[in-house]
Amino acid sequence: MAQHHGNPRESDPAIRTEALESLLVEKGLVDRSAMDAVVDLFENKIGPRNGARVIARAWVDPAFKSRLLTDGTDAIKELGFSGLQGEDMVVVENTPSVHNVIVCTLCSCYPWPTLGLPPVWYKSAPYRARVVSEPRSVLKEFGLELPESVEVRVWDTTAELRYLVLPERPEGTELMSEEQLALLVTRDSMIGVSKALSSPTK
Amino acid sequence: MNGIHDLGGMHGFGLIKSEKNEPVFHADWERRVMALFPATFLFAGYTVDEFRHCIENMGAAGYLESSYYEHWLHVYEEILDKRGFVTRAEMDKRIAEILNGEK
Amino acid sequence: MAAALTLEIVPAVIAGGASARVDKHVAPRFRVGDRVRMRNINLPTHTRQPGYIKGKVGTVEQDYGVFVFPDAHAHGIHGKEQHCYNVRFTASELWGVTASDRDTVRVDVFDDYMDPV
Repeated sequence: MAQHHGNPRESDPAIRTEALESLLVEKGLVDRSAMDAVVDLFENKIGPRNGARVIARAWVDPAFKSRLLTDGTDAIKELGFSGLQGEDMVVVENTPSVHNVIVCTLCSCYPWPTLGLPPVWYKSAPYRARVVSEPRSVLKEFGLELPESVEVRVWDTTAELRYLVLPERPEGTELMSEEQLALLVTRDSMIGVSKALSSPTK
Repeated sequence: MNGIHDLGGMHGFGLIKSEKNEPVFHADWERRVMALFPATFLFAGYTVDEFRHCIENMGAAGYLESSYYEHWLHVYEEILDKRGFVTRAEMDKRIAEILNGEK
Repeated sequence: MAAALTLEIVPAVIAGGASARVDKHVAPRFRVGDRVRMRNINLPTHTRQPGYIKGKVGTVEQDYGVFVFPDAHAHGIHGKEQHCYNVRFTASELWGVTASDRDTVRVDVFDDYMDPV
């Protein structure tokens, strides 16, 4: 029996979850060790470091980049990433004249195999409501201001395609290895609310 | 449906709050709710489309006031009850047992 | 009774997923470059057409091929597979004259969500 602190109520999601899982286990419908394995995958194994490797590879290998932009699913699969909520991938490239940013206004669709599970802000009402209608104000909140000459292109994930932004490779990184380059690629740059780092954070 | 979930372009939500170094899960129950998705998807016979529509129907106030994984929990409770896998009565009984320290 | 999701199949299930793409020939109604107007759909049933594009005019940028149609699939109705397209809208088309002429919004839209202009 789990410990319940404070004053738990029938509506408490922790209580409801415990009730639901215990009933499903007793009925033989779910297996706890299988569920534990799913949690481990998404908490510890699948995350934005996957996407960063895809981006770094694209930065150093023009043929891979071309494949990535033509068929995102197959190119990403070359690096071993695929599956649930990333079955049909589209990679969109940032250039000096186009800045891409991804949202799912209707729910929270997000490319799990390359970025892991989405952060709370991505799923929140303010982001979903505002990024399609006032993207520059949203980007400014994330510390990114773009000149008027750049087209801000917002992709609303309304169907089952999942989008990943290929950020611009920062200046002065010509001598970096692929592994070093991957460290510059943040989750936020692959959603499009920021650019890649120009040097790794300490 | 023209529900509350259809947020694109709406006004009045204010600034975007983002947490630095946010953990993947904020509570243990969120871990279990997330894992219940593949676990229930494979036997309960629902589609992601039905899943989403169930959330769209949870009521505007509830939708905005509850957290993301509470939306998923709502779906499991609805869909599993509707299909007879776990009824509301069974859930109410088990919740009472947990609160009484019997389970 | 054994659980459907067992420990052994977890990696394959997560790495395999469940694509909504359908291997079926369905004639597309639109081609890349077509100007399209979004239908005024206001049914209480499920749709993936967001309200902010209703009645708006855009340009078809990409045909992604044939996919399950979510509006029907959510209600257990099968056989409505159709093309899914990426449509470009200018910010000013969506949000009015005060919005940018350069910025755009790209939305994934099904055959049944639009008509030719």
